[in-house]
Amino acid sequence: MKTRVPLVLLGLAALGLPFVLHEVYYQRVAALVVLAAISASAWNLVGGYAGQVSVGHAMFFGSGAYGALLAYTVLGWPPIAGAPFGIAAALLLAVVVGLPTFRLQGHYFSMATIAAAELIAIAVGNWKLVGGAAGLMGPAAPRSIADLSFRSPLPYYYIFLLVLTILLLITARIERSRLGFYLRAIRGGERAARSLGVPAVRTKLAALLVSAGFTALAGSLYAVMIGFVDPESGLGLLVSVQMVIIAALGGAGTLWGPLIGAATLIPLEETTNAFFGGSGTGATFVVYGAIIVLISRFLPGGIAELWQLVRSRRRLRAA
Amino acid sequence: MLLEASGIVKQFGSLRAVDGACLAIDRGEVVGLIGPNGAGKSTFFNCLAGEVRPEAGRIIYKGADITALSPEAHARRGIARTWQVPAVFAEMPVRDNVMVGAFLRHHHAPAARRKAEEVIAFTGLAQQAGAPAGSLGTLGRKRLEIARALATEPELVLLDEALAGLNPTETAAAIELVRSIHAAGITLVIVEHVMAVILSLAQRAVVFHQGKVIAAGPPAAVIEDEAVIEAYLGARFRRRSA
Amino acid sequence: MILVQLVADGLLLGAVYALLSSGLTLIWGMMNVVNFAHGDFVMLAMYIAFVAVTFLHVGPAVFVPLAALMLFGLGVGVYFALIRHVMRGPMLAQILSTFGLGILLRYMVFWVFSANFVSLPNRMAGGVLAIAGLRLQDSRLLAGLMALLLTVGLHLMLTRTAFGSRLLAVAEDRTAAMLVGIRPDAMQALAWGIGAACAGVAGALIALFFYISPLVGDSLVLIAFVTVCLGGFGSIPGALVAGLAIGVIESLSAWFIGAAWQDVVVFALFLLALWLRPQGLMGKA
Repeated sequence: MKTRVPLVLLGLAALGLPFVLHEVYYQRVAALVVLAAISASAWNLVGGYAGQVSVGHAMFFGSGAYGALLAYTVLGWPPIAGAPFGIAAALLLAVVVGLPTFRLQGHYFSMATIAAAELIAIAVGNWKLVGGAAGLMGPAAPRSIADLSFRSPLPYYYIFLLVLTILLLITARIERSRLGFYLRAIRGGERAARSLGVPAVRTKLAALLVSAGFTALAGSLYAVMIGFVDPESGLGLLVSVQMVIIAALGGAGTLWGPLIGAATLIPLEETTNAFFGGSGTGATFVVYGAIIVLISRFLPGGIAELWQLVRSRRRLRAA
Repeated sequence: MLLEASGIVKQFGSLRAVDGACLAIDRGEVVGLIGPNGAGKSTFFNCLAGEVRPEAGRIIYKGADITALSPEAHARRGIARTWQVPAVFAEMPVRDNVMVGAFLRHHHAPAARRKAEEVIAFTGLAQQAGAPAGSLGTLGRKRLEIARALATEPELVLLDEALAGLNPTETAAAIELVRSIHAAGITLVIVEHVMAVILSLAQRAVVFHQGKVIAAGPPAAVIEDEAVIEAYLGARFRRRSA
Repeated sequence: MILVQLVADGLLLGAVYALLSSGLTLIWGMMNVVNFAHGDFVMLAMYIAFVAVTFLHVGPAVFVPLAALMLFGLGVGVYFALIRHVMRGPMLAQILSTFGLGILLRYMVFWVFSANFVSLPNRMAGGVLAIAGLRLQDSRLLAGLMALLLTVGLHLMLTRTAFGSRLLAVAEDRTAAMLVGIRPDAMQALAWGIGAACAGVAGALIALFFYISPLVGDSLVLIAFVTVCLGGFGSIPGALVAGLAIGVIESLSAWFIGAAWQDVVVFALFLLALWLRPQGLMGKA
């Protein structure tokens, strides 16, 4: 049980973080880190473990975000009550898009997911009923606690942390189970995996369903916190790409990779933003792009690879 | 009769790779498929494994028609295979590679791990069990392919050139391994180029030529067969003139 | 008559799509790397045209070759600095590297020129040619014909010259190519150079009739992806046919359904095609 100690410490650190970061600004960044970690971890199940590089996960994120805000604008419900609808829509999309698309290999799969997500983004942008290009707004002022509209980022931070913890527990469970082995086998070679009895399509679909569900939940939480979504922020190509980048940066196909990636990239984005005075100049993204390029060039396996390098050095020294 | 394939036809574009081939395999046999390059034995082999779906013909396995079933359904029914070019899961440790196979019959990780350890010991991979499969040499990869296949607890194992690319010492070791698999009661179909391997392993050799079975019988007798010599020599002659 | 007009407009636009996709498909087919920054290469070329026209007061006869040359240099540079190191790594690292590069280029331009839309002055090839009842804008006609010419030329270069066969030899089998004395690294660098130069020419031509902004590459690269997938990756004739087809489809659906929906039609047809024929329409099985 020695291995549990760092985990407990990490958990305590996560819980106690807001007490160290007094400023609202930092607390907000912390909440955004956890939120990004949720969607990147969800993406990781399909893109990382199974090696099926989806660049269209925005369609699931957007389902969640739109589900939440449509529940408010159409039914007058608290946004979070729309999350189940958003998740249901995402699961439906996962089946409809996933089943035919999983027959495609490599880059073709990525391209098809991009096209599917773009198609949905453009369609929503042209559809007045769901807000069109202008998007949807949440409640301007909280009507009750159920609206989950808080001034302080802290409640959001803790809600997100709870969801992330559940997702990481599920991922860790999958990692050690038959599903996890099957997913990695598919990444290693689908034909060989099938010859060993791995039902490839069913396995990928199972991973995609979990992935889509949590990505949609992340989308709903985003909409609840920000109180706004439009085709760009909910369904845009960059939403998908950010999940890929965060997971790949931290280490795709590893449990902690997406969290490491989010904890690196989001603060980086925020700091450069602050440094260059808002995102208006584009300098933020110059730095952002440069760092992504550098990491792909020197650490192709992501930041998690650093840890493995250190560990194997240590093992060498011990031997 | 464990498996019976009859009238198998497979066409690739204008090329009829398999043209009405038939084969029956008894439980406990070791059958060698031989023939010159392009004779259709690999395509026929892939039909048996469910990797390629024939256009005509039927494959009956233990009384059931499996012709149109997927590769994974073949595995479930007890037919396992290896690949000509080893297709190990390079990033996964050797043990985890074998566990993927073991999960077919053992749904929980501890049971699958026990089964994997057993097969790893049997195939002589215990030393490398923790290493990534990508770090293995050719012999190691071939062993791992066999181990993965055995972990699915098959009754019939299809070996696709499992001994190609090995040096003489390694070949001897691999032949020993195949013998012990047979001794464990598993039926084997071997596609092989090296005639010496067929002579020392197979009880029956089946010769393919132009998509058809042209001879079958004890290996030593088959290689004396007129039609077989003709097929090999003819092929060689054609290749030289090309 | 309107149909003929729409098809003619579509074909001219499609030829430009074909050229910009040819660059992408060349790189993709040769080393199985998808250049996610390809749209940003196009965008860069559009700004090169803009700067050349605004500050040097030159016409397309100067800025098109200039853009080609500069992008060629960029392509070769990117190959040696980045692609060479990631191309045999995991697919994710490849995606990460070219996407990062795209973001870098896009926001460097954003930093310098801000997000404002600009365009070339209208007097540049601003006339209209009327033949056989068709009215074709000079700018689009020039762009379409040049793009068609260059795409065909690129195809001929790859299939009919010694240089082309060396290039394809590397794509076919690196090791074998090395054995006959071809330096794969040099060939791949050239492929990147040529691929980027295609984007350069396409960008400079598009600038003749399209608005220019740092984010303009986004929608263009998606069209190029679709073109390449439909044409089969590595196939320039495939890219040509698919590019022309997409141009016509866009032109028709913009007229009949509305410009806002033209990309929806393209993406929907693309998905349908992929689902029905997973190897691309003209790709080898």
